[in-house]
Amino acid sequence: MKNIVIGQYIPGEGFFYRLDPRTKIISVIVLMVAVFLLDSIYHLLVASGVAMILLLVGKISIGRVFRGLRPLLVLLVFTFVFQILFNRQGAILVNETLTLSATSIVGVLFLTVLWRMLARRGKFRFLLLLMYLGGLYLAMRYLTFWWQITTFPFVIYEDGVTMSIFVIVRLVVIITLSTVLTLTTKPTDLTQGLEKLMRPLKVIGIRSEDFALIISISLRFIPTILDEANKIMSAQASRGADFAEGKLKDKIKQVISLLVPMFIIAFKRSEELADAMESRNFVPGKPRSRINELVFNRLDVLTSVFVVMCLTGSILIRVL
Amino acid sequence: MSYIEIEDLSFSYTGKRKILENINLLIEQGEWVAVLGHNGSGKSTLAKLMIGLLDPMSGSIKIDSTLLEEETTYEIRKKIGIVFQNPDNQFVGVTVKDDIAFGMENLLVPRAEMLEKIDFFARKVGMSDFLDKEPASLSGGQKQRVAIAGILAMQTKIIIFDEATSMLDPYARAELMDYIRELHDEGITIIMITHDIEEAMLADRLVILKEGKIHADGAKKQLLGQPEVFETSSLELPMAIRIAGMLENNDDKLKAVKEYLWEFSFDR
Amino acid sequence: MGIQFRQVSYHYPSGSINFYPAISDISLSIAAKGEFIAIVGHTGSGKSTLAQHMNALIFPTSGEVEIFGSVVSKRRDKKVKYNDLRQKVGLVFQFPEYQLFEETVEKDIMFGPINFKVPVEEAREIAKKAIVMVGLDESYLRRNPFNLSGGEKRRVAIAGILALDPEILVLDEPTSGLDPQGKKQMMELFKDIQDKTGKTIILITHDMDLVYEHTSRVIVLNDGLLVYDGSPDALFKRDDLAKYHLNYPETIRVLSAIKERFGVDIDVYQKDAISAANVIRLVMGQ
Repeated sequence: MKNIVIGQYIPGEGFFYRLDPRTKIISVIVLMVAVFLLDSIYHLLVASGVAMILLLVGKISIGRVFRGLRPLLVLLVFTFVFQILFNRQGAILVNETLTLSATSIVGVLFLTVLWRMLARRGKFRFLLLLMYLGGLYLAMRYLTFWWQITTFPFVIYEDGVTMSIFVIVRLVVIITLSTVLTLTTKPTDLTQGLEKLMRPLKVIGIRSEDFALIISISLRFIPTILDEANKIMSAQASRGADFAEGKLKDKIKQVISLLVPMFIIAFKRSEELADAMESRNFVPGKPRSRINELVFNRLDVLTSVFVVMCLTGSILIRVL
Repeated sequence: MSYIEIEDLSFSYTGKRKILENINLLIEQGEWVAVLGHNGSGKSTLAKLMIGLLDPMSGSIKIDSTLLEEETTYEIRKKIGIVFQNPDNQFVGVTVKDDIAFGMENLLVPRAEMLEKIDFFARKVGMSDFLDKEPASLSGGQKQRVAIAGILAMQTKIIIFDEATSMLDPYARAELMDYIRELHDEGITIIMITHDIEEAMLADRLVILKEGKIHADGAKKQLLGQPEVFETSSLELPMAIRIAGMLENNDDKLKAVKEYLWEFSFDR
Repeated sequence: MGIQFRQVSYHYPSGSINFYPAISDISLSIAAKGEFIAIVGHTGSGKSTLAQHMNALIFPTSGEVEIFGSVVSKRRDKKVKYNDLRQKVGLVFQFPEYQLFEETVEKDIMFGPINFKVPVEEAREIAKKAIVMVGLDESYLRRNPFNLSGGEKRRVAIAGILALDPEILVLDEPTSGLDPQGKKQMMELFKDIQDKTGKTIILITHDMDLVYEHTSRVIVLNDGLLVYDGSPDALFKRDDLAKYHLNYPETIRVLSAIKERFGVDIDVYQKDAISAANVIRLVMGQ
């Protein structure tokens, strides 16, 4: 296996790539705090506008960032539905009565089946989910004839809508910030940045160098271990343990047949690696010189100033 | 005074069965010694003892007149390096450059000097074009060469190869052997642990281990004249020597062929 | 029956996660009985990729593989039970000792048969036979596989595949990491298995001496292409093996050197030291 990309890093050029990882890490944290401080939807929209401009300046494709959001779609939808249904403040926007009847149940079932079948195709899943939710509403609103079982009110309050939008925009902005960090920073630089930033933790006995070394070795071995897992899975599949087929009971045995060898190999590997490191004069806890150095430049200063301004801005807005 | 002095060395993991027993071995500077032995003969254990990864049960190891003990391991490991069998499990760095630097970082070599040395030694092992590559995109032979560069960069004078070619294909193996020959020509002391006789034929001297003891130790030519030494320790002689051993001595022409077969084995 | 490759290719666009080197347009046929085949080629030539097609562990991106009557192609056929094909063609991976995971040797050998729905008692009987077939005795069945020596572990792992009673046995570099004695014993084991069962045995190897001495057919891959399929004797008579990164067997190299040095007409194609010594005597002696 060759050239597997670890993490989300995508090689590229542009503003964000030239920043010191330390600046990026701190900036992202500070900007997140700033975003959390904003409590009005309008300020938040301004903030997301600023985030957009940053992406454009940094030549980062917005599509990329939104792909980073994908795993969190479910969370976003859940937040949205939760806010809409349970927030009971502000003016009433919608006040309807929904009916559970023989026809609406059939409609709901039909929509569910249709949704699951289409979703399995894998495309436009998010859109489908929204259409499904809308369809549910329409079905229960209008299919009221035959055997009405029960009715219940469906009320949407103004604050429900604003809050749900507010929470979602806030989440999107925050995720965008962290995606920019991981998209533009090599895992090794990220580790090194973290190491330097965690240095003060020495006071409470945490050695940031060790931590960074552990992370970088883990990163180094991820492709190797994936390769290994693939080999062992194939080897056990040759003995009839097909990880794709089979019942749950068989699955457990199959997973064990993968995990035990993986553990044994990982153990052997770590022992050999420790030997190799020790034989090259590595002594845990001893100071080492470093081949990779981090240097601040003018961009970092500019960025820091900008970030501090953002933070001050949101504090002022909050206080005033 | 020899460069490496191993005296009465014994080792055991449990205290009961001895993995190594009363090993005595003197190695001179610039020698190329092949340590041969069947699987489980204790040859890799010997390597680990020499670099201080294991502590002997009894006996001593001196390298360049320094006794190997806890306080001196750091100094000893500046003089002696080891390339292990599995290319993957000794690649510490995220990239080739980082891996060559690893040992130097431990020795607190300043960054500017490291960069210079990385360039120099990467070129030496033919890896200059791969400095920013990750191990996943390198072949086994390339990884072993990076390991060598990392050791050389520490100014090491002795390199142990612990079955370092056994996971490589014949092509990569021959290539690595060429690099090792070059190191030897430059005065590096080579200790090659192997069970491959063809590989051992490049050494000046053979040490054969059998069940934890030194079974034979001598110049290559001398030992190859004693086939029983190999037969009794689960090893094979090189094909040419085996054929030579089957030919009669009473015929001039056959004698000439025999002589040539010996020559052939040595000049690989 | 047996295995047929029809214009099989396997490749993936660069950049996608892919564990195997590519192969292109490979057609060959392997009989179900009596063959002893070597697959050779440099690292990355696609040897292992080819082997993994033989029991449907990976699927061709074009072309098809017919394994004992079942067709495996890009499109997965719901009617074909791919898992069952793995019983027909037993694949022993490189360093198979790493696949051991049970607490006794017996259980580990039984893992395969039980996956193929063999009743437990029967599987136990099979384990007994398999352990003997790999040259260990029944007392090993109760032992913990992790306490065995490297060579013994490897035998147990091979027994685990033999327990499936495959028609064809494919072994990926079964001698790697073994000392000369271990290598010799391993090769004797395969010969023995073939003599007793008549199964076709396929070895993936780098060792040309072993290919020359033991096998009856060689398949050479170079950069994913099949460049030779025939007898080892004819292969080593060619003088262009260097372009496939292949060596000549040691006997041929030694005898060729003598031929050149002494300017004698000697038949260099000998498979072992004894016959090599004989031809030298024949040509040089009285």
